[in-house]
Parts: sequence; C-alpha cells; structure tokens
Amino acid sequence: MSDTASSAPKPITSRFDPRFEPTLYAHVGVPGSHTLSYYRSHGGYEAASKALGLEPKAVVDEVKASGLRGRGGAGFPTGVKWSFMPPVDGRQRFIVCNADESEPGSFKDRYLLEDDPHQLIEGMLIAGWAIQATIGVVYVRGEYYHAYGRLAAAIDEARAAGILGRGVLGSEFDFDLILHRGAGAYICGEETALMNSFEGLRANPRLKPPFPAQAGVYGLPSTINNVESFCAAVHIVARGAAWHAAMGTDDSKGMKLYQVSGPVARPGVYEVPMGATFRELIMELAGGPSEPAKAIIPGGSSTPLLPWSDATLDLPMDYGTMAKHRSMLGTGGVIVIPERKCIVDAYYNVVRFYAHESCGKCTPCREGSATWLPKMYQKLLAGQGTHEDLALMEDMVKHMRGTAFCPLADACAMPVQASFEHFRHEYEHLVDQGESLYPRRREWAA
Amino acid sequence: MKVTVNGTVLELDPGTSAIDAVFAAGFDVPYFCSQPYMSPIGACRMCLARIGAPRKERDGSWILDESSGEPKVFYFPAMMATCTTAIMEGMVIDTLSKDVKDAQNAMVEFTLINHPLDCPVCDKGGACELQDRAYEYGTGRSRFVFDKRHQEKHHPLSALITLDRERCIHCKRCVRYFEEVPGDEVLDFIERGGHTYIGTLEDGLPSNFTGNITDICPVGALLDATSRFRGRNWEYDHTFTTSLDDASGSAIVVDARTGRIERIKSGLNPEVNKSWIDDGIRFGHEYADDPERLKRPLLRRGEGFEEVSWEEAAAFVAERLAGFSGKDVGVAIRADATLEEGVAARALAQHVGTGQLDHAPRHGPSLVPLHGATVLDVATADALLVLGDVTEELPALDLRIKDALKGVSPPELFAHGVPIADLRLKERMPRASERLAVVAPYRVDLMKYAGAAVQVPVAGEAAWLQAMAAVAHAQPADEAVLGMPRAEAESLVRAWREAQKPIMIVGGFVLASEAATEAAASLAKAVGFRQVLVPPMANGVGLEITQVLPSHARYDYQGMLGGSAKALVLSNLNPAVDPAVAERLRSCELLVVHDLFLTETARLAHVVLPGTSGYEKDGTMVSLEGRFLPVRAAPVDAGEARDLTGVVKALGEAFGQRLEGRSVRSARRVLRKELGFDPTELHRLGLLRELPRRRAIVSLNVRETVVGDSLRVPSLARPEYLGRNAHLRAALGGPALRLHPEDAAARGLRTGDEVVVPVDGVPRRLEVRVSDAVPRGVSLVPATPEAPAGPAAVALDDLVHERRALEVA
Amino acid sequence: MSSRQPLPTVTPFFADKQERLSEILARYPEYGRRSALMPLLWEVQRAERHVSEARVEEIAEILGLHATEVKGVMSFYGTYHEHPVGRYHLQVCRTLSCSLAGADTLADFLEDELDLVNGETDPEGRFSLQYVECLGSCGTAPVLQVNDTYFERVSRSRCRALLDAMRRDTLPEPTLERGGDNEPNAPDQEGGAA
Ligand SMILES: Cc1cc2nc3c(=O)[nH]c(=O)nc-3n(C[C@H](O)[C@H](O)[C@H](O)COP(=O)(O)O)c2cc1C
Ligand code: SF4
Ligand code: FES
Ligand code: FES
Repeated sequence: MSDTASSAPKPITSRFDPRFEPTLYAHVGVPGSHTLSYYRSHGGYEAASKALGLEPKAVVDEVKASGLRGRGGAGFPTGVKWSFMPPVDGRQRFIVCNADESEPGSFKDRYLLEDDPHQLIEGMLIAGWAIQATIGVVYVRGEYYHAYGRLAAAIDEARAAGILGRGVLGSEFDFDLILHRGAGAYICGEETALMNSFEGLRANPRLKPPFPAQAGVYGLPSTINNVESFCAAVHIVARGAAWHAAMGTDDSKGMKLYQVSGPVARPGVYEVPMGATFRELIMELAGGPSEPAKAIIPGGSSTPLLPWSDATLDLPMDYGTMAKHRSMLGTGGVIVIPERKCIVDAYYNVVRFYAHESCGKCTPCREGSATWLPKMYQKLLAGQGTHEDLALMEDMVKHMRGTAFCPLADACAMPVQASFEHFRHEYEHLVDQGESLYPRRREWAA
Repeated sequence: MKVTVNGTVLELDPGTSAIDAVFAAGFDVPYFCSQPYMSPIGACRMCLARIGAPRKERDGSWILDESSGEPKVFYFPAMMATCTTAIMEGMVIDTLSKDVKDAQNAMVEFTLINHPLDCPVCDKGGACELQDRAYEYGTGRSRFVFDKRHQEKHHPLSALITLDRERCIHCKRCVRYFEEVPGDEVLDFIERGGHTYIGTLEDGLPSNFTGNITDICPVGALLDATSRFRGRNWEYDHTFTTSLDDASGSAIVVDARTGRIERIKSGLNPEVNKSWIDDGIRFGHEYADDPERLKRPLLRRGEGFEEVSWEEAAAFVAERLAGFSGKDVGVAIRADATLEEGVAARALAQHVGTGQLDHAPRHGPSLVPLHGATVLDVATADALLVLGDVTEELPALDLRIKDALKGVSPPELFAHGVPIADLRLKERMPRASERLAVVAPYRVDLMKYAGAAVQVPVAGEAAWLQAMAAVAHAQPADEAVLGMPRAEAESLVRAWREAQKPIMIVGGFVLASEAATEAAASLAKAVGFRQVLVPPMANGVGLEITQVLPSHARYDYQGMLGGSAKALVLSNLNPAVDPAVAERLRSCELLVVHDLFLTETARLAHVVLPGTSGYEKDGTMVSLEGRFLPVRAAPVDAGEARDLTGVVKALGEAFGQRLEGRSVRSARRVLRKELGFDPTELHRLGLLRELPRRRAIVSLNVRETVVGDSLRVPSLARPEYLGRNAHLRAALGGPALRLHPEDAAARGLRTGDEVVVPVDGVPRRLEVRVSDAVPRGVSLVPATPEAPAGPAAVALDDLVHERRALEVA
Repeated sequence: MSSRQPLPTVTPFFADKQERLSEILARYPEYGRRSALMPLLWEVQRAERHVSEARVEEIAEILGLHATEVKGVMSFYGTYHEHPVGRYHLQVCRTLSCSLAGADTLADFLEDELDLVNGETDPEGRFSLQYVECLGSCGTAPVLQVNDTYFERVSRSRCRALLDAMRRDTLPEPTLERGGDNEPNAPDQEGGAA
C-alpha cells in the first residue's frame, strides 16, 4: 500500500480502507441473489428509476465524471464512448453487452451473470436510456449456459414486472433485451466480430472505421460495453460520480473485479478499489501463493507477464502503472505462475489458445499465431530447438505485432515477447539441454 | 488533398485510398486481397506502409513542427494497410523504408509457409500474383521447416472450376466476389483460423457468373477446368477482343496456344462489363476446337460430299447462280456476323440483284429505341423496370443492374487503371431493391433482388404494360392484369416518374411481339423511361444499321425459307432442324451453306463452305447500347475456314468482279463512308454512337407460331453449340424442358429424364428439369437462333420418354 | 443455372416445432432475420447432438440463405458438431490456469479411463471427449464441462465419481462454487488450489 500524504481526502486504493464497500460483487454467492425479489429488496432498479428521471445527457456526463473506464480489457472511458453516439435520427439504436468473457484468466463476468443478472439488466437499461437505445443485446458466450438460463429467467421476470418492455418502470421509455448465445469462439469478444456473430455471419472482425457508434449492429448506431462496465454504471448513478471517483488512482477510478488464478490459497474474484497492489490482492486477499511463484500475469493471458518480486507486488493495479511497466491491466485476470512451471511450456499453452482462436482472416495471425508459432513451441518442447529458432520466434512475434487486422495477433505476440524478455534463460536452457529447466509436472488434486 | 508518397507530392480527391495514392505516385506496393471493383477488406496485410498525418489543435490550426514550422507529421504507431486507409490532407506515406521492407518480407514469408510452391505444375505459373510478389518483396528463403497444411488438391467446385485448397492464400476475393458482384452467396469460408478453407454446399455453384473467380484468384487455387494442364501462361497468345456470344459487347481475352483456343478470360471494359463475364461467354468456346469442324469446302456428289478447293466451290456456285434470275436468290446470315460480314452479304445480294437479304434471328421492330440508354446508365439508374429474363438473355446487364442497386457510381479511373481499393465499396452492402421491378412470365433469378416482381401469363406482357400505362394516365386498369393492388402500381409509377434516371430493359419476350413492344414504348413515354432493347444475337443492332435487311417484308428470312427464294445462301443458319423446312429445302434449286459444322441444313446443301467462329475473325460489332467494338481473330488453326468476307471474295473472283466487302479492309472502306469513321481505328473499349432508327419492317422473321401457352426461353449458353461445349454442358445440363412439379408429377416426369417432345411441331430432345420457378401449365424450352425467345406450343401429350433418370437413393 | 439433385427426404426438424421456431424468429427485428441462425443451430445441436447437412439445408431454407452460408457460420464455431457427440460430451479445459491445476493430467486420465482420444466418441455413443479452451472457470480450476454443465475443482476422486455416475446414466447436480470470498458455503470448505 502506498501512503502519500496530502491534504485532500486520500483516494481509496485499498479494500481495507474502511470507506470501501463492495458493490459489484456484494451479492455474488448469496443463495437466491439472482431473483428479482432479492434484487429489489437490496435497492435494485432504484438507480434506473433515478436515471430515467434525468436527461440522457446528464447520465452520460455522470458516467464521464466518474472516470469509469471500460472493464472489457481496453479501458476506454465509458462515458466518452457513450457520447460518441450520433444524434437521435429515428434509426434504431442498440446498446450491446459483451458477455463473451473468454480471455484466459478472466471469470468475473460469469458470476455477475449467474448470481446478479438484474444488476446487468439495470446497467443496460441505464445505458440504453443514456444513449437512447431501445434495444439491448446481450451476447453471452455459448459455454455460459447456466448464466444464460439465469439471465433469460431474469429478463422474463423483468418483463413481467414492467422493467423491460414498453414504458419501463412507469416511464415513457421503451426498452427490451435480446439475449443471444455464442458457440465457442473467443474472437466473438472483439466487439465487431461479436456484431457479425450476432447478425448470423462468420465472426471475423470488421473494418474500423466505421466504429459501432456509426455502424454497429445491423449497420445501425450501437454502443458496446463489458458486463462489469454496465454494472459499475448502476452504482455510479446510485451513488454519484464523486463516490466512484474517490476510489482509485489518477487515470483509473472506481472499483474493479480482479480475478486470481493459479496456485494461490484462495483463487477467485475480489472486488477492490483501483490502484490496490498486487500484494494486497495476491498475498492478503487470495492468501498468497501455495508454492514459490516466479511471475504474475496481470490481466488475462494476453497481457505481458511481470516477474514475481517485491517491487512487482507493490505495484498498484491500474491502467497507467501497467502501461508504464509495458504490460496492461486487461480484464484484471491475474494469473500466478509458479516457479516450477516451465515458462516455455506455459507460453506454449498460451499460444495454443490464440492459435485455436484465430479467426483466420488476416495473414500474420492465421499463419503466425495459428500455425507457425505453436509449431515452433512444439519443436522447442520436443528438445529439438536451436538458438536460431529462438531468434526466428522473436522475429516472428515482432512482425505479428502491429501488422494484423485486429488485436488478437498482438494478444498472442506480446506475452510471448515478455516471456522472452524475462525468462530467456529458460528458453535457452531448453535449447541447450534439450529439456526444460522445470520438467513437466503431473500434480492433480486427489 | 495533398499527399506525399515517398517524397513525391500529389493532389488527389478525398476518399482515395492510400494504396491508390501510392500507385498514382508511380510507386508499387504489393497486395493480395484487394481487387478492383470489389470492397477493400485489409485481410492479407501485404500492403502495409508507414503512414503519418498532421494533426490539428483544438482551435483547428495545424500542430506545427518546432524546427521546420511546417505541420508536424504524426506517424501511426503501427503500420497501416494502405488498402483500407483513406487519404487525409497532408498525409505522408512511406513504402520504401527498412521497416516497411521488413514487414513486407514477413508478410510474404507468412503467406508462403502453407503454400505448396508447386509452381512447376501449376497452371497459374508465370501469371501468379504470389509468385511475382514473393519474387519482388520476399527474401527468397523460408524459415518454415514444418510440414505444410495438407488439403484437397483437385477439388471440383463445379464442372467448370477446379479448386486446389493447398494453394489458397485466403485473400477472400472469390468469396467476396459472389456476395458483392452477382449476389449469389454460393461460396464461403468453412472452419476458422489455420483450418479455414473455401467450399460450397451448393451443387455445382449455381450462378451464371462463376468463372470470374478464376480470373481474380491471385494464385492457382481456382482454375478454369476447360484449360487445366493445357499450357503455360507464357506460351499463350492473348487476343483482346469482343465476345460475339451476346450483344453486351463484353471484352474478352482469348488465350490460344499452338493454334487452338485454350481458354477465355474476361477483358476489362469499365463502361461495359467491367472485368466480369458470364459463364456462357467464358466456357462456351470448346465448340471452336471440335474435331467435327469443317476445314475445307464440300461439293455435293450424288448422296455424298467431296472436299474441294475454294476456287472449285466458288466456281460451281457462280456458275449455278448465273442460271437464276437475281430476284430469286436469297441471302441470309446469322445475327452474330460482323458489320464487315454484313457488308459482304449485302454486296453479294446487290451483285446478284436480289432484295431477299436478311439476318436472323431478328425482331420485327427496330432494335434502336427512341430514347436509348447505355449500359453505364443502367449501372447508375435509380429506377429499373426489367421485362424478361436478362440473367440468361444478357447476363452482363444483370450485373450492371446489381451495380445500380448498390448505388455506388462507377469509379474515376487513375492512370494506373481502375482503383485498386475503392473505399466506397463495402462487404455486404445494402442493396436498394426498391429500385428494381422485374416482370416475366416465370420466376426469373433477378426477382430475388427486386422490390417488385410480377409474374405475368405467357404473352401477357402487352396487357401488363398497357395496364401500367393506364395507371400512369390515371385510367382504369384491371388489378388482376397488374398483378398487384392498384395503389402499389401507382406508387411504382410515381417512383419511376420521380426517378432521375429511370430505365426500362426490354427483353426478347416483349420484343417478340409487336403489340408488347409498342406497349413498352408507350409506357416508357408515359413515365419517362429510357429504353435498353436486348437484341436476340450479338450484332443485331449492327446488322440492322448496315441494312442487312430485305427490300420487302415478304422477302425476309422466313419468306425465303417459305419459297420466295429458289437459290439460297445461308450463313450459320440451320433452319432444317424443322423437318417441314428441311422438306422444302430439299427442293431448293441451289443451297449454299456457310457454317462451322455439317448441320442438318448443310447436309441438304449443294455446296458447303467452312466458316469461322467468333474467335477467328476480324471485324466490328455493335453492342446493344450502340457501341462499336472491335472483334479480333485469335491465332488459331481453322483450316481453310473463312468468314463471309472470304466467301464473297471467292465468289467475286469466280464472278470476275471485285465486290465490296471481299475483305475486312474493303468492307471497312464502305463502312467508313456510311458511319463516318474507320472501324480499323476503333479503340479496344469501343466507340459509342448515336444510331439511326430504321423504318419498321413488319416482319415475318420471328417465326409464326401457333401461340402456345409455353415459352421458348433464353439461355446464357448458346444452344446451337451446347452439345459441343462439354464442360459447359456438364455444368448446365442438356437443353432443358422445365416444368412445374405438379405438371411433371402428373406425367410421371422427373428431373433428369430424357424426352423427345414436339416444340412448335419440331421434335426436340430435351432433359426434364422440375422447378417451382415455372408456373403451372407452362413448359419452358430453350430458345434457339432459329426459334428465339417467345411463346411456343409444347405438345406434352406427344412426349416420348427416351431415358429415365436414375433413382435417387 | 445448374440443377440441384434432390437430397433424400428427411422429416424437417422444425416440422413439429413451429411454435418454437416462430418464437426464435420473433426475438430479432424483421431486418435481422439472419440473427436467428445461431439459435436455430443450437436447437438442432441440442436435440440431435450434431447438425447434419440436411438440417443445414433446412435452416438455410428457413432463413432464405444458401446452405453454404449456414455451413460457413456453423463451422466457424467450436460447439456445433458435424457428427453426433456422445450423450455425455466431456469438454476439458487445458488452458493455463486449468493446466496449472492439473488439467493435463485430468485429460490423460479421461483418455485412459474412456479409451478415447481428443475428438472421439465411444461406440455406444455414451462419451465424447473434447479438449476446449478456457471456460471462464479459472478460479475453480480444473473444470470439466459435461454437455452444458460445469463441474469445477475436479479432483481425481470427483472425476471418478462423476464418470461412475454417467456410466449409470445419471448426472449429479454440479456443486455451486464461486471461489474468492464469494463462496456460497462456508469459506473454508473443501477446495482451494491443489
Ligand atoms: C480478441 C479480443 C477479444 C475480446 N474479448 C472480450 C471479451 O470477452 N469481453 C469483453 O468485454 N471485451 C472483450 N474485448 C474487448 C472488446 O472488443 C471491447 O473493447 C469491449 O467489449 C468494450 O467494452 P468496455 O469499453 O466496457 O470495456 C476483446 C477484444 C479483442 C480484440
Ligand atoms: S488478428 Fe486477423 S486472423 Fe487474428 S483474429 Fe484478428 S482478424 Fe482474425
Ligand atoms: S490488406 Fe490485402 S491488400 Fe491491403
Ligand atoms: S483456464 Fe480453464 S477455465 Fe480458464
């Protein structure tokens, strides 16, 4: 925890700050929390009613002022994105929820969908009002069947209660949701691929511009956000922008759902204010590693790893700090890599994921991420790699970066580069010795 | 806008893509996925460049570079695909620096890792964009040491197109093509990522425009099945010419090798066919290479023929003709003869002194409309009324109609040609179907794209047109005839009247009838349509304006066959398919037939002269829009075959006369006087001319039929040659008898059955095709040059079942 | 236009499910009819455990598309199958967090126990085994998805019990696990990483 003294009230950057109170995940895990009656009994839909009493622009301004940045990975300011919508011109407008959560290490949205679906509905209703979209689309990844069912039931309940449909919550505003189920393709998380998928097309990303606000779903004005972003909007409207902005650091405001996986005592999702440190998250909340660790992946497998050290543990988990350390906050999906995991094997695993998920549209990704790079890893791991192979791999990932059509190839290349940067000795050991520094492990809980 | 490309400064229109800017500046940048006339998609990443642009302060002024005082150029953090980047004021594009070179090397290497590099056995070798680009922009080596992707190598996508999946580089040109150009989405990517391949579930790629994908495939993945393994690209002689398969004036390239035609590719004519041709034009050339082609003149000797020299044959004809009074001689030529051939035929008729001169097939009314429109007008029309089945009758027009529905005007050309990346074009663009109304006596393909589609009864066009004209004049009209509620008809008329550029396309069903043609003209006048009339054959317009016409209606082609001519010279016409006509021809005193094959008619002839195909002659044709286009002979071995000018030369020599039109050159001397320009000087893209309208020749030319309740329908494949175009026939099936499912069931007919059925009294061998596009009670049979599109009597009761289709399991 | 050979006739899947079909089509706006493509594929996949070519054609017909387009979309996704999967379709995540929790060993265990390799279905059609990528259950790894149900923190003993149950054609209720400080039950119940 950093403790800079200043006269203004100190921003909340620790979950242990007494002023901090969980909101997004306050009800996850509570039996029955997915029902409308539970939600209402905990103040549900009051924020939506409040928003409907404001001018749409006022809602957008509130979200802008809150400093909320998109929680889907890229961290684009949510209120600013909402303000990109063209003036109302009679065309149908859409608010879209990206519930395709598929980035390895990310699992925060799933529990929101399963245990607090009304929170999302309320968030989308608020956003729909703010951008004057009367149709919301929720694109849920195909594997989240339980979540899909919970959300479908919640939508039915909400319709029956007049929260969705004509004149929602007694207002003049019509709003309804279309629930759409994916079918196993990570690329559908990319916003334009998601729209293609929703429209019944192959889920290749689209050219940008035009951006979704100009031509999104069905070519009509659309805004897309992550599940967590919508949920955060509920509390921003309920408690005010200032409440939200009081948490976090200069460029990263509010609370965030961090996820911890890998060998720690208590893996799971933790809601903490932005700017909390890895130490707080991993050591204090998640109980620390259950065996010696050597690296931290800060925000999902596409974000470049950081070596495990006291210095790293003391880094605040915010957008700027991560960028400064040439990584990214991503989805906040922290993965702890144990000392005894061969880094080459770990990154083969990561690369295999992106190889499997490349859409195949563009050359560097189809031939690099999806074909050549995994083959190089296989060669290395088979003990047949050479130093030229390592040079080739570095050259290859260099040319996969910034050349592809969408960020998926970067997502594959960047973490590989970081693994070379911090763990070159493991690659070299494998080449020189023909076997990994850390042999493959067979542990599996009995 | 000012753009700087590698230091070269140039001014370009806003909206220009960076890739076109690079080419306009005289530099090259490699590309695979972009393709002129198709949407840029940025998939191959081959065209990357370093791009920068100045930025503005909040107050709108440029952010200046401290040291130079000029607007500061901010480079994009990553390299940009030039094909999908629009130029901006002050943009700086760099395609030469080391970074760019490195990226190009890398993209070439990526592209090649899964490419089989089987260039020595690949038909595309020598004309392969990948080969060229790898050579120019690659490092010449690959560091990929693994087994390449193995996929199907000889996959027949259809009878016409063979796919080698290993060679595919996923540029998506072919897949986009089907969606963007004909709008038939019959090909798609299957699977994803590294496993992606192209494929179809549609049997045989049902579209009339499949062959174009073999032109645009940058590698040897999609190949023309008629020419596979036939030659290397550098061995081909390329002849840039105009197709005589229909009246579109489509530019084609005939590739020949050692005296034979190996394949036909699309030529480029931005104002006509862009770079697309239909499958009939592309694959319909095999007949020219048929072993049964006549190579030498034949003279009748008793029951048989004897091969003779041209001199002998001509001497025989000249001597026999001398025995006739001039007016008893008839000369008739097929309507795909060139202007020069028309002049020759005319000269021959003049020499013998006959008014019995005609071309066939020909409609009664003139093919030059009062207010005509061009193909480009069609492509930019904002209201279209299509009467008939253009997709079959003149497929090139079908594609231009679809252009009009996209509403993107034809691009301005650069010095380097058609824009490589026209940023106005998008994948899956909306089509303004409300601009299109289609009227036909059965469900035609174009109706899928039409906002209004009306199926009229057979020969019901006149009534429909009159009814619409009545609506236009606010007079009563029968809704049953209109085929729609009056209010809808009124709103159609309103839309036509309000349109800036309303165009009516008139097909053969209407032109076959005087009344319908008149009704079409009246409706056109009433709402302000300009008209495009679809000639029944390639040079109908040209032969009309060069007056290859009878002096009197009773001397037209049908008149000649009916007995007005005692001696007949027929070029490429085969009336003896009709046994009744054959009977009459048997008693003809002199029958001279000029043709490619020993047709039914040629068998009855006294002299048979070997003719040339449309790929083997030089000349000029006039397309439906009045565009004069050059026809050029490809270097192929046609034996002693000659075109009509050659026939006239031989005859003239035998007469001891120097006839006009005894050579292409002498015919052009005549044409130059009549047309006011020399066709020799025609540019490849042709010359659009205002055309004279001819006096109406009330004609019997369209064979008089018992108006039946069935139809002869046009087909993109030339019916007279279908049997000799093996690949095309395999793709399309044989000449079809199309029936409604219930009519077929009632007679126990199934798709694939072979039958012989009298069509207007002429027994025809046809293949049954059951289709719900056909109305009940109507049979559709193919039109032929002898019996063009129009109503027909099909005597299903006299149908003979020749062979039944195999049972489907 | 070429002729299509008629396929052998099968009863259309939606012949007796018109109401369901209309309900699905009605979810989407008129101009977005094609959006129903994935839901329709799901209907067939769930009922028949695969989507046959005849069904592809049927869906194409319903939506006014070419069968090729339906196939292009269907084959893009990992969870529509061309060939039937078993009654218990076991999907093992082997991605990083699961791998760190023993997923590779779990996968080997399943291969050996069921005598299946990745992508296979046993001859009785009971089990299929498929390796999949991250299922969003990294905090409760390793995870085994059986048909549409997640089984999390799958230890060797849990896995055995699960297989035994499926061999008896019963599928137990999944345990509700959340990890972190949102465990529904006592925070220190069985679990945590190995
Ligand atoms: C390959 C790829 C995968 C993505 N996956 C997801 C995802 O699963 N969920 C998500 O919310 N955003 C994902 N994104 C980010 C979205 O494109 C988009 O930025 C986000 O949904 C916007 O929402 P936000 O502004 O609320 O973060 C992905 C982006 C890329 C390039
Ligand atoms: S980087 Fe290219 S191939 Fe990869 S997912 Fe994006 S568009 Fe598809
Ligand atoms: S990305 Fe293929 S040409 Fe530009
Ligand atoms: S890694 Fe297996 S669920 Fe995320």
